[in-house]
Amino acid sequence: MLAILPGCLLAQGVRITGRVISVQDGQPLPGVNIQVKGTTNGVSSDANGNYSINVPGSAATLLATSIGLISQEIAVGNRTTINIQMQESINELTQVVVTGYNTTQRKDISSSIASVSPDKFKDIPVASFDQALQGQAAGVQVSQSSGTPGGGLMVRIRGNTSISASNRPLFIVDGVPVENGALGGREFGGQTDNALALFNPNDIESIDVLKDASAKAIYGSRAANGVVLITTKRGKANQKTKFTADVQQGMIDIIRRPDLLNATELLDLQREAVINAGQDPDKLGLIRGVTDGQNTDWINSVLRKGVYQQYQLSTQGGNDKTQFYLSGSYRNEQGIQLNSQFTRYTGQFKFDHKATDKLSFGMNLTLSQVKNKRVKSDNFLDGVYSGALKSLPYYSPYNEQGRLYGPNDPEYGGFPNFNPVGQAVLPRFETYTIKMLVGLYGEYEILQNLRFRSKISADYNNITEDQFEPSTTAIGGFLPSVGGQGYGVFSSANVSKIVNTNTLNYSYQLAEKHHFSGTAGFELQQQFERRGSLQGRLFPSDDFTYIRSAGIVDQGDSYKNRNGLVSLIGEVRYDYDEKYLATITSRYDGSSRFGQNRRFGLFPSASVAWRISSEPFMQQFRFLNDLKLRTSFGFTGNEQIGDYQFLGTWASATYSGATGVGPAALANPNLQWERTREANIGLDASFFSGRLTFTVDAYDNLTNKLLFAQPIPQTTGFSTVQGNIGEVSNRGVELTISSVNINKAVRWSTDFNISHNQNKVISLATDQPVFRGYSGNGVSNTNVILPGQPLGTFWGLKFLGVDPATGDAIYDDKNGDGRITPDDGQVIGNAQAKLYGGLTNRVSWKGFDVSVFLQFSYGNSILNFTNTTLVNTGADIQSNQSRQALKRWQKEGDITSVPRYVFQDTYNNYLSSRFLEDGSFLRLKNVSVGYNLPKKWIERFKITNTRIYASATNLWTLTNYSGPDPEVSTLDGSTAAQGIDFFTLPQVKTVFVGLTIGF
Amino acid sequence: MPTGKDNKDNMIRFFRYSIVLTLAVLASCQQILEPKPVDLLVDDLVLNEPNDVQPVRIGLYNAFRSMGASNMIAGDFTADYIQANGTFNDYIQFGTKRITATNDVVDVLWNNLFSTIYVANFILERLPNVSGVKDDTRKQVLAEARFMRGWANFIGAYTYGDLPKVTTTDNQTNTQIARTAKADILASVLADYQAALTDLPAVDATSTNATTNATYLNKTNCRAAMARFYLYQKNWAQAEALATQVITSGVYTLLTNYSDVVTKDFTTESVLEVGYALSDDPGTSATGLNNLLVGRREVIPSNQLVAALISTEAGTRSQTITFNAQQQRASDNGWTVRKYGTASEDNNNIVYIRLAELYLIRAEARAQQGKLTGATGAVADLNVLRTRAKAPAITLTAQADVLLAVERERVYELAFEGQRWYDLVRTGRVQAVMSAFSPNWDSHYELWPIPQREIQLNTALVQNPGY
Repeated sequence: MLAILPGCLLAQGVRITGRVISVQDGQPLPGVNIQVKGTTNGVSSDANGNYSINVPGSAATLLATSIGLISQEIAVGNRTTINIQMQESINELTQVVVTGYNTTQRKDISSSIASVSPDKFKDIPVASFDQALQGQAAGVQVSQSSGTPGGGLMVRIRGNTSISASNRPLFIVDGVPVENGALGGREFGGQTDNALALFNPNDIESIDVLKDASAKAIYGSRAANGVVLITTKRGKANQKTKFTADVQQGMIDIIRRPDLLNATELLDLQREAVINAGQDPDKLGLIRGVTDGQNTDWINSVLRKGVYQQYQLSTQGGNDKTQFYLSGSYRNEQGIQLNSQFTRYTGQFKFDHKATDKLSFGMNLTLSQVKNKRVKSDNFLDGVYSGALKSLPYYSPYNEQGRLYGPNDPEYGGFPNFNPVGQAVLPRFETYTIKMLVGLYGEYEILQNLRFRSKISADYNNITEDQFEPSTTAIGGFLPSVGGQGYGVFSSANVSKIVNTNTLNYSYQLAEKHHFSGTAGFELQQQFERRGSLQGRLFPSDDFTYIRSAGIVDQGDSYKNRNGLVSLIGEVRYDYDEKYLATITSRYDGSSRFGQNRRFGLFPSASVAWRISSEPFMQQFRFLNDLKLRTSFGFTGNEQIGDYQFLGTWASATYSGATGVGPAALANPNLQWERTREANIGLDASFFSGRLTFTVDAYDNLTNKLLFAQPIPQTTGFSTVQGNIGEVSNRGVELTISSVNINKAVRWSTDFNISHNQNKVISLATDQPVFRGYSGNGVSNTNVILPGQPLGTFWGLKFLGVDPATGDAIYDDKNGDGRITPDDGQVIGNAQAKLYGGLTNRVSWKGFDVSVFLQFSYGNSILNFTNTTLVNTGADIQSNQSRQALKRWQKEGDITSVPRYVFQDTYNNYLSSRFLEDGSFLRLKNVSVGYNLPKKWIERFKITNTRIYASATNLWTLTNYSGPDPEVSTLDGSTAAQGIDFFTLPQVKTVFVGLTIGF
Repeated sequence: MPTGKDNKDNMIRFFRYSIVLTLAVLASCQQILEPKPVDLLVDDLVLNEPNDVQPVRIGLYNAFRSMGASNMIAGDFTADYIQANGTFNDYIQFGTKRITATNDVVDVLWNNLFSTIYVANFILERLPNVSGVKDDTRKQVLAEARFMRGWANFIGAYTYGDLPKVTTTDNQTNTQIARTAKADILASVLADYQAALTDLPAVDATSTNATTNATYLNKTNCRAAMARFYLYQKNWAQAEALATQVITSGVYTLLTNYSDVVTKDFTTESVLEVGYALSDDPGTSATGLNNLLVGRREVIPSNQLVAALISTEAGTRSQTITFNAQQQRASDNGWTVRKYGTASEDNNNIVYIRLAELYLIRAEARAQQGKLTGATGAVADLNVLRTRAKAPAITLTAQADVLLAVERERVYELAFEGQRWYDLVRTGRVQAVMSAFSPNWDSHYELWPIPQREIQLNTALVQNPGY
């Protein structure tokens, strides 16, 4: 049989025709792929569900597949007409999963991949798709760093693998590793912008998160932090052109306001602090009835309710040769801080064309522009929300005529009371970002089953930052060392990337049951960065706000940078009768970030899976549809450090108007890839016709050769050297359960995922603690990296309580020397959650649908660093205090956790576990309600569907955290210093109504 | 269905294509994998040829300049000149005299000292081997390197006490390095200074470029530094002799108005001064002096210093500080230090040595030697400064009184030029003065702590007592 020539087979082929319809409603199904199994010979059904295909003979089997439908295999036999009835899949087994340079069905996967369909976030007003992952996939931890619109998020897949290289996963949109993280050159008090907010999440067809080595190794050098594959929408073959319009409008408000003291309460507290310090409060100007004559609620003065609106129109369609998708959207989100606003325009186009049986090509294009009006926030002394927290209620934002108080007014508080209302509305911080992501591909079938595909893509980002702070602001007017008379900065940057990917795909089968497929490829990637900026001061007046009018242009910068990656890719998959599956994947990467000797790294992986449910002895368990055990092992890497760090370098150094060179960095020619060894074992099970599915994964990952700017004694002339030192381990368990609890007129489904990750630093160069985060008062720093402890460990004194006799803080004298010194600093907690996950329930009945999404985190600590200012025990009298301060010790015998207030005494305010709080929370992340108008009402308007809906996010939170929001992190993106709340703007709650019309 | 043979052919072709692709990759590697940095110079290229000497020399001066701000903070914030007025813990520590080993400024000064020493050692190791450099250039730059290494060690020894003695750029050697006795360090300082003095260029009274004379090293300003060294060493005769040499050289001359000392850069009185241009001004960086003293007003002059400076004894030196009634509230006395301006003002430099100090050095050296009155007496030197400041002349005659007058005169003349704490410690007056100023003062504050991070990273280091 094997000896028969294929040419003969084709000549003797049989033509099969038929129609594909839906089991549910008998409607024709267009765009279903009909394929001769084991070959690439395939067609798709047309608008009426009809298809026609040549098959080699009666022994052939047809494979019918489509996203969202259960795949079917049909033996041809002697028939020439085969009508196919397809069923909507309620489980995910037949779902198509993107696996890097290939796609496959979920049931054929031998690695760990989580998929998030856009259905799961379509009613949540996410600004970026990384936010859409929040609570939706096991092993993926997403937390929003603040309530700033368009702001950064922390995304971690299976924990933190790296100390100083990036921990952000690799985000790949339509094959291009896109810019993620911050694009802007300026951070606003810890908060950055988010490059992923330039994409419209509604243009996304699928998100696949690659979690284990086998899935990720194809991305080798950059895959250690996980890979998120984004596929944008494309038109379906033989589909009537379809239009969809979507409108959302709503309101945004802060989730919870901080509770601060009013003027009289604060004055009493400050007077007490001064008296405790043995001084006379009247002499310091703290006079009852005078100082507290004014009582301003600064928080209310700087916050507002924002308006949220989003409009989108999209169309898609195509015939069997050409398909397209086209969309445009507009989003406008007002921040809750005065004057902050995020506006986005996007356009998306996708085009695929099949020129001949062998040749196809196409393109994808994303164009978007964001205008981000930002305000200073977080740990900026002259920030808006931070300023409002700190500013004394004794001052007022406006005079009697409604004019804002500025630096020249006697009523202006001055440092650090900078009239936060003025700080919000007067400066201009506008960031304009333009993104163009374009890809062109061609695919050619060289021989049967051997396909060559080449794609060239560019990710082009242009960032313009336009800033001006007038003389009525802190920087522009109050601080002569900076502005004095207006301060302007204008900067422009271009960050772009070109990727060329070339792959050969080959598949064949042997003796029917042995299926092989292989991919080989090479990829070139180059990233370019060009930046320039100007700073001007001394403007004639505040009417002139651009640097053209500046009296002095005293700072300027221009810079260019380039880095590159050259890679070879290989993958071989094998399965026997879809029962035993194996995959071997490898990538060989060369990076410009390492020296000649250490430039290339090899990242191999292997996985095997066993579909137990296919074994004969399992056939008796009829309730079990699928049971698959899989395991994988392999290596991935990380190279996300700055460029040229392996070189010992000197940089420009100035002196009295002359310019020379000064030392910049110590050389390390042996700097090399950070490598993570990953092992994974998982079980996929599906019961009761797919109504209940489980996925359990357990993993053990060890990262070694950590890229790390290792602190060294400064007697060397340097403070750090970039090295590969130490090991970090991540071990964890993930569970995902999906069930359809009721599937009648009422349909109720539940998705639940929960993850546990245990992160631990195994070793470092020395056992000496490495300090990170903010400097602490009385101890080194807020954070420490220490062998045996997880990343994100908090450091400080151990607060043992308040001495009822004296009211002073009692700290643990760890070294027993009778004094409290920095040497008594110790580990006081960590920011890593023990458990996190999400629970979504969806109920639909007739046209109605309701979805309730809860998200949780358990066991993480938050360092409430804000309280080192807001419950400062009298260290200074220039900041307002939190209501917690009223619990302070006042007289002998008081039992309290807040020490007594003593003016200018910082002892009671040392950085200690007093500021550490439980950050566990359960949050009602989203509730949405929708109604699809009955077809009979809308059909006469030629409308195919109309859905009205309402959605609310962050409505309710259960937490013991005393700050306004447990889900914040002031150092956006930091790993070693995560989970610090330092005047961080809390999340917002958004309530909106929406309308979707399809026609 | 494909046949076995067909499969085999396909496989062969598949690998053939793969090999072609592999070769294409390797060809494009070089260009992509070896981009050149635009703003960095690789170690090996830094000092190879005569043209490299000047840039590296400027780098040395840059490192030398970096010590200025933290050295000033050590000298004046540790003592009785200031009170804390802001929210930075580091400066509250200085204000309340509760300085800890984690204070950032303690670390910044340490860092700056040793990065200066690194560049100096780099030049001392490499420059002798660079061929084609003119002999006098080579001698001068080597002398400058030795001077600056000496200067850094001098500050280090008086700030931290015993100090790691770093004489090489070898990373290994300098990582685990123990402290060397202060006396040995100071001996090496003298050796460096003496070697520098031999090879530095000479200047004389005909040299009128005040900027160059203060910006770059010459024999005269090297002597000024040595006069300070001998004063600290209590070698009164040498201190007096060297101070006299500087004063009589005619290269540097006292200004007529003290206010110009406060508000102008590169005056004729400036013996050694490190300059900032508009574009490299420290601005709001952590130790930017204008930012600390004027912008944020993290520290303000202490009430007792204000009283001293606005007394008639100080004369026009009251211009060192200025009062703004609008700022006077709560614990803020409304006074601000004026000696450090913004980038766009003409006083954003840091003066290391000023001719007035040489008069004070000589006065003290003379008083210690019993030369009190007359043309070559201490009082005459003090009165030179008093006359310039339009303050009443001194008429004291007892040695103890004259020595106290020198101490007071240094307050009037040199406030916020980084001298006070060092003066009090070396004259043994620190306990008396500081205990009266702050209840938290303790004798262990006569030295700064070794930065906590250094103690942790270099196990050969032992912390100073009391910290």
